[in-house]
Amino acid sequence: MANARLLVKRLKSVRNIRKITRTMELIATSRFKKAMDRATEAAAYTKKISEIVGDLGSADLKFSHPLLEERAETKKSVLLVLTSNRGLCGGYNGANLRNTLKHIAQLKVEGIDYALEVSGKRGIKFLNFQNIDIDQSYTHFEDSPTFAQVDALGTRYVDDYIAGRIDRLDVAYTEFKSISRQTAIVESILPLSSLAGDKAEGAGPSSGGTADYEFQPSPQEILEEIVPAAFRAKLFKCFLDAAVSEQIARMVAMKGATENADEMAGDLKQQYNRARQAGITSELAEIIGGAAALE
Amino acid sequence: MADLRLVLVTPEKTLFDRPVASIRVPMFDGSAGIYPGRAPLVGRLGIGELKLNGTDGKSESYFIDGGFIQIKGGQVSVLTNAAMPVAGISRAAAAKELANAKSEKPGTAADIASQAKKLERARKLVSMATVD
Repeated sequence: MANARLLVKRLKSVRNIRKITRTMELIATSRFKKAMDRATEAAAYTKKISEIVGDLGSADLKFSHPLLEERAETKKSVLLVLTSNRGLCGGYNGANLRNTLKHIAQLKVEGIDYALEVSGKRGIKFLNFQNIDIDQSYTHFEDSPTFAQVDALGTRYVDDYIAGRIDRLDVAYTEFKSISRQTAIVESILPLSSLAGDKAEGAGPSSGGTADYEFQPSPQEILEEIVPAAFRAKLFKCFLDAAVSEQIARMVAMKGATENADEMAGDLKQQYNRARQAGITSELAEIIGGAAALE
Repeated sequence: MADLRLVLVTPEKTLFDRPVASIRVPMFDGSAGIYPGRAPLVGRLGIGELKLNGTDGKSESYFIDGGFIQIKGGQVSVLTNAAMPVAGISRAAAAKELANAKSEKPGTAADIASQAKKLERARKLVSMATVD
């Protein structure tokens, strides 16, 4: 019966783990919904920004801004890695960090000096273990980063870029494409390249509207303000995408864990029943054997 | 009469999306009023109070931290980094922000500019704060 007792113990612990993973799955689901809502709200802002950029395009303006200019030679770049503070989210951090290592190796080959900035305890731990120096680390971005927090970083990058202290900004994060598809990517967001792309997007509706805009103070000055705003919105989107992807990854991982625990509990229960039955049978056999011996 | 619809968006949230009767926005160089039928405009906003009169005659105020305005047809879109209802600004918090901004000791020209910005924002907040 010792075997059966052991199985009962294991069964209990597996059930406990199942309870935990199930709860984590539910929490991740609710956080995912919240994060998703935030991402949708942010998309409205980004859309408006590109609409205004499109309107500026109608003002017969040359799009030139320090943030849009690509440097002839990239000497110093910043790599910002967005990982999660907590684990138990499947391959979310792993995929992102593998990409990061690849990117760092490439930067070394190209001979570009880089500063590494990491957000999230998981990434910090991993890179420390790999003996890679981290220039700056952040752990205060939880699952709902606020714009003010991200803006503080964004302002610094804008200042550094304009002053020529950095020539490029890359962000390694998990892009949210759809609920069933998220991919870890490294994206260059400075120099800002896609303003032209946004312009094409935004130009559609505005050209249909044939609005003849009045610009206050002037198209040029508005452009000067809106380019950094577009950059900040983009950086913020990276953080939001990362947050949404993290919750999805955790949801999926915990769903898998719960299913595994269910399966394991079933197997253990079966083993336990067999062990119990075997115990009863052998006891009966002993009694019958004993009675037979007395006759 | 043409309609007027105000959409107030920040990167985090769409705060307001309703038809209104009239709006007063803080432009970069002073207040501007908007009534239905305003000509199309793209402009830069300053820090200050956005006041709107609803179609039901009630007025509401928001604190706006810079950004842009786009007027196209009957739609007014206000994009700003941060916005909050005036009813949500407490005097104590505003006073604290002003004190913080004042206590900064700027060293470089950039610091001076950033402090001036913070001071302006804090002073506007203090003047708009209504609740304790």
